[in-house]
Amino acid sequence: MAAPAALYVLAFGVYPLLRGVGYSLYDYNLLAPRRTHFVGFGNYADLLGDPEMRRALLNTALFTVSAVTVELGLGFLIALALWRDDRFNRICLTLILIPVTITPLAVGLIFKGLLLADYGLVGYWLAQWGISPRGLFASTATALPTLVFVDVWEWTPLTALILLAGLKALPTDLLEAAAVDGATALRRLRQIVLPLMLPAILLALTLRTIDAFRVFDIVFVATAGGPGDATTTLMLLAVKDGLSFFDIGRASAIANAMLLCIAAIAAVYIVLIRGADRRANGR
Amino acid sequence: MRRALDWARRLFLLALLAFFLAPFLWLATTAYKPSSAIFSIPPRLTFTPTLDQFRNAFAVFDVPSLVESSLLIAGFSTLLSLVIGVPAGYALARSESRLAMAVAYGFMGVRMIPAVAALIPFYLMMRDLHLLGSWVGVVLINAVLNSAFVTWMMFSYFRGLPKELEEAALTDGCTPFGAFYKVALPAARSGIIASALFCTLFAWNDFLFPMFLTRLDSKPISVALLSAYGTKDITWGTLGALAHVSTIPIVLIVLWLNRYFVQGVARGVH
Amino acid sequence: MALTKRNLLGLAMSGWFALTLGAAAKPLDGVTLNVASQNDQFAAVMAKLAPQFKDETGATVKVDILDYGSLLTKTTADFIAHSGGYDVITTDIVWAGQLAANDSTVELRPLIKRDSKEIDVDDIYPVLMKSLGNYGGKQVSFPFAGYANVLAYRTDLYKAAGLKPPSTMEELVADAYKLTDPAKKQYGFVANGQKGPAVAQDWMQYNAEMGGSILNAAGKPALNSAANIKSLTVYRDLFQKAAPPGAADYDWGGREESFRQGLSANMQTWSVGAPGYYDPKMSKIVGEVGIEVAPRGAGLPKVYGVGGWGLAINADSKHKEAAWTFIKWITSKKVHKQMNMMGAGSFLRKSELRDPELNAKFPFLPVIAESFEHGDGDYRPRIPEYPRIQDILGTAVNAVLVGNTDPKSALDEAQKAAEKLF
Repeated sequence: MAAPAALYVLAFGVYPLLRGVGYSLYDYNLLAPRRTHFVGFGNYADLLGDPEMRRALLNTALFTVSAVTVELGLGFLIALALWRDDRFNRICLTLILIPVTITPLAVGLIFKGLLLADYGLVGYWLAQWGISPRGLFASTATALPTLVFVDVWEWTPLTALILLAGLKALPTDLLEAAAVDGATALRRLRQIVLPLMLPAILLALTLRTIDAFRVFDIVFVATAGGPGDATTTLMLLAVKDGLSFFDIGRASAIANAMLLCIAAIAAVYIVLIRGADRRANGR
Repeated sequence: MRRALDWARRLFLLALLAFFLAPFLWLATTAYKPSSAIFSIPPRLTFTPTLDQFRNAFAVFDVPSLVESSLLIAGFSTLLSLVIGVPAGYALARSESRLAMAVAYGFMGVRMIPAVAALIPFYLMMRDLHLLGSWVGVVLINAVLNSAFVTWMMFSYFRGLPKELEEAALTDGCTPFGAFYKVALPAARSGIIASALFCTLFAWNDFLFPMFLTRLDSKPISVALLSAYGTKDITWGTLGALAHVSTIPIVLIVLWLNRYFVQGVARGVH
Repeated sequence: MALTKRNLLGLAMSGWFALTLGAAAKPLDGVTLNVASQNDQFAAVMAKLAPQFKDETGATVKVDILDYGSLLTKTTADFIAHSGGYDVITTDIVWAGQLAANDSTVELRPLIKRDSKEIDVDDIYPVLMKSLGNYGGKQVSFPFAGYANVLAYRTDLYKAAGLKPPSTMEELVADAYKLTDPAKKQYGFVANGQKGPAVAQDWMQYNAEMGGSILNAAGKPALNSAANIKSLTVYRDLFQKAAPPGAADYDWGGREESFRQGLSANMQTWSVGAPGYYDPKMSKIVGEVGIEVAPRGAGLPKVYGVGGWGLAINADSKHKEAAWTFIKWITSKKVHKQMNMMGAGSFLRKSELRDPELNAKFPFLPVIAESFEHGDGDYRPRIPEYPRIQDILGTAVNAVLVGNTDPKSALDEAQKAAEKLF
């Protein structure tokens, strides 16, 4: 029964991907098709030597690590607050999910508009009080953290939802028994809740890492990678090379390199998931 | 003490609600402001409401067609992802082979493909299938990423369900497919709904694939939102008006499904 | 055939019309033209005029309104895949080189020659005919929407300070400093600062006005010439001392809004935005705006920046003749005037800039006419390598504005990167 899915994904997903891998070995620009020729790993070598790429890798890594960390931490707090099943919490949960339903591009624009130093609803006061005279997106030191903040705003509700589901799956009898035994709340959290929650945590972690590593929309509209190269990310460069310069060889090389990075991170997570899984399920 | 804690919890949630809703409300209110009142120095919160922005948005965009395309794309890509992803997840979960785990994570790997990598080859493929400009192409590519994700998610879900019922059905003379269809599937209802919601959210908001693959008749609302962001100016009011149309349907879906969703993920992660 | 929702309905409808209105058959009955249009002011107007074209010719025109990035990406994909999805495409002035290099669009010279009388070619400004679509001798696109780079300034602030509007770049810079008073939230200058096309395009404008140039006489990049380094230094100083503090992250939208909000006393801008300053629904400075020809460095020849859009026919279109009919129709004296009466802000013909009705509505038309008479459409080089050069400059100039590097080293580095392209 897995065959249709496998065939489908191979035909419409893996096949185009492999064609993309093929392109990455060529100097292949759609606007200069006559120039096309085989360059082997030339595109990859170019990437390694390009300071903009190295900066983008660093930015992407910083962005991913900080965004995912905050989203998980804050998401867990929210999940704890929403744990009990009552009317108030059900309404809260629905409303809190609204950011997730907004197209990321629009999210980028919302924050760009709010944070403009000269007439933005929030940016104006930040400038007035001397906190950020030029606007959070316009200064090198604050641009990337602000993008992290935007990503946190949009995706924390989703991690909260996944973690809440993890909480609801906990065996209540175990927790009650521990409470009766006089275990403090903190100890219950550390010794029972967290270990049993590992699969949910890792689901949220994997999903968010995959998507944060490929961040594009909010950066594209809010800073376009600036100031300087302070917020240039890998996906921004891949999209620019691929969809505005049509340098398909180079864009494919960046995309493939990204896929390798994500897969490597995911492999680490998978080892963790399987370990946690085995412990939690006694398998 | 308990009461105080409960109030603290509610206050914390209300503060969070304000934090998560205020930016969205700002965008939504731009739809009721005349363009000159969207920004001001110093910023003002009051304004004289007008419906001009909605009129503009509806004059430039065929809004019903945008919503229709969005619904078609989100609906069919979710359906297709479930139809092929759920049985695949089930088969892998019940497989004795050690390879099953590797295959399941292979599917997760497909979810990680950066869109640009496959976009041009997929575009050429759709041209050869004469599907360019149609929402069907968007459904096909969305379903690749989503069915991979559904497979992976349902794989974990079914592994958390006891095998005994299905085994009983099999000994009663049920075919393996019958056991899946009549026994496992109903038991997995909340997991399927959770997967469906993930798929719908993803397909509803995605703009890169539909931007590339659709034309005027099949353009979804996420792509129209993008064109409100012109180069010479950002038409905030139009954006705000369209944001209504793009957010309300999905919020309704979330409202309707989120109870199942929590149950579904709850089982899926164990 | 592609699966589209409305095809069936459309077929049924046209069949019905053919039956009931059989007598009034029109030349282009049953033809559908797909137009990909940039989301500028002309787009909505074009969409509104489409039914009128159908009345006159029978052809249905569907206008797909797109942002700049999507337009470029989608039309390029359409060209290279030869999928013929769009029949008519609005083309930016700087795309001409790329379009010509790949023969993506229909060469229009034979058609223009054939119909020159109908078009009245002499009524169209030569600079627009050339720069909005002629490259290397080929006419890859037909001029449609000419924009002039003009100076918009605040008459009230100039009057209060006892100043006259500037006519040279040196005067503009001096006035910008004089009119800056951060305490009153008043700034003398504003331009795009955001990384990417935004800052690159605005700086290229100032650079040309201060005597700099992107290419040398041999057509090769000369980004780090002395004149360019000097102009970038002036540009940076203006940003740091005379521009609204947030300007380093302004794109076109941010810049225009800051002017309409009354923050900035001077702004160089495309004439297409000008109608908005006079509209109380959009602007807080109605009645306090003057529009003048853009300043030039003292002693430099008086030429003015020109930009805008052309209309091109996809070489893979199945309705080339119908597409050409549409282009002729929408750029005709009558319809183009009508378009501008509806607020398109897109000028093309000498006759419309002299038209009394249009002049009564838009007081700044003589400025545009003067700019088109002495227009320069090549200060942004319209060569195939342009997008890469713009990208390199977009990063370099922005880095200078935010103080990460100095003008000379930024342009030296940009020059090194640009040389690799040739």
